[in-house]
Amino acid sequence: GELYCPLPNPRNVHFESINMKNVLHWSAPEGTGDGVLYKVKYSVYGVGKWIKKLECSNISRTWCDLSNETSDYEEQYYASVKAFLHGMCSDWMETTRFNPLTETKIDPPMVSVSSTEKSISIILTAPAKWKRSPEGESISLAQVYPGLQYNVSVLNKKTKKRWWFSVSNDTLVVPWLEPGTAYCVSAQIHVTTPFLNSGFSKEYCIATLKDKTA
Amino acid sequence: NVNEIRSGFTAIKANIQARDPIRTVSILSHPHSLHKIKSSDKCCIIHQLFNFYMDRVFKHCTTEDSYINRKISSIANSFLSIKRKLVQCHNQNDCKCGQESMEKFKQILTNYEGLNVTSAAIKSLGELDILLDWMEKSR
Repeated sequence: GELYCPLPNPRNVHFESINMKNVLHWSAPEGTGDGVLYKVKYSVYGVGKWIKKLECSNISRTWCDLSNETSDYEEQYYASVKAFLHGMCSDWMETTRFNPLTETKIDPPMVSVSSTEKSISIILTAPAKWKRSPEGESISLAQVYPGLQYNVSVLNKKTKKRWWFSVSNDTLVVPWLEPGTAYCVSAQIHVTTPFLNSGFSKEYCIATLKDKTA
Repeated sequence: NVNEIRSGFTAIKANIQARDPIRTVSILSHPHSLHKIKSSDKCCIIHQLFNFYMDRVFKHCTTEDSYINRKISSIANSFLSIKRKLVQCHNQNDCKCGQESMEKFKQILTNYEGLNVTSAAIKSLGELDILLDWMEKSR
């Protein structure tokens, strides 16, 4: 039967998601100090059967990786946490409805650059969706979000002039550049709907080749 | 308009979904997922769903919060303008409703009618992101 549950509740139970690696986080109940243990359960919205997350039973940490259980981004989810201390317990405290597709954060794209005398070629790679194991199939977030685009900034280090490009495919060639000049490239992922933006990647700098005829 | 609906819904999502305590039932996603609908049936289902939201959802979603009510009516207006375009597209294109898609839409109505009107309308409104996610994915 249910224990007597006067323990204060876990607080701020919420999902933190990056590239669809979905981790449940919470804060310890107020004023409980050390020794608190937790149990976690989750459910698929519309199905509603609560399922215990066994790997997060009687844990003392305040997070639980539910990526595996919430990997179908066509579904939405709830998760819940209960605290235990000295034979007492708290109520189950739930998240709001979690939609991985619209609530995940996306890492910046990988950027690789090469140059000729008067142009720079930029190859952009969107991060992969979280996967169960390294051997698992890698799914690019570009496949998950059909509307995924890249915002690319190209800076002429000498003149400090900057250009902006918005491209849908993953390669960009910037022509008509000055030979023997350093250019720095940075890129961001932009999904139009649902509205999602990554941060900007770090800058990748490269120099165009010197003009052989000069 | 879809972006307007999406941003309008994002602003009220937590509030509306918090008014829906029923976890075991979904109007749109169970037992049949919209994502399993054949592409040939999509035009018909989108058309049916827009009518569903206009006729059976928005008008039953009045809350005590005027901000929420304003957002709901702006979403409804965006739906209305999309619906007008859909009617033109419906007339011009082969927007046939196959038996399978009608079965799926009937299931949606069954889910809706399994609850009292206000709960069903609030739940349907809280599932707008399910509709938008599916529409955008199949764009």
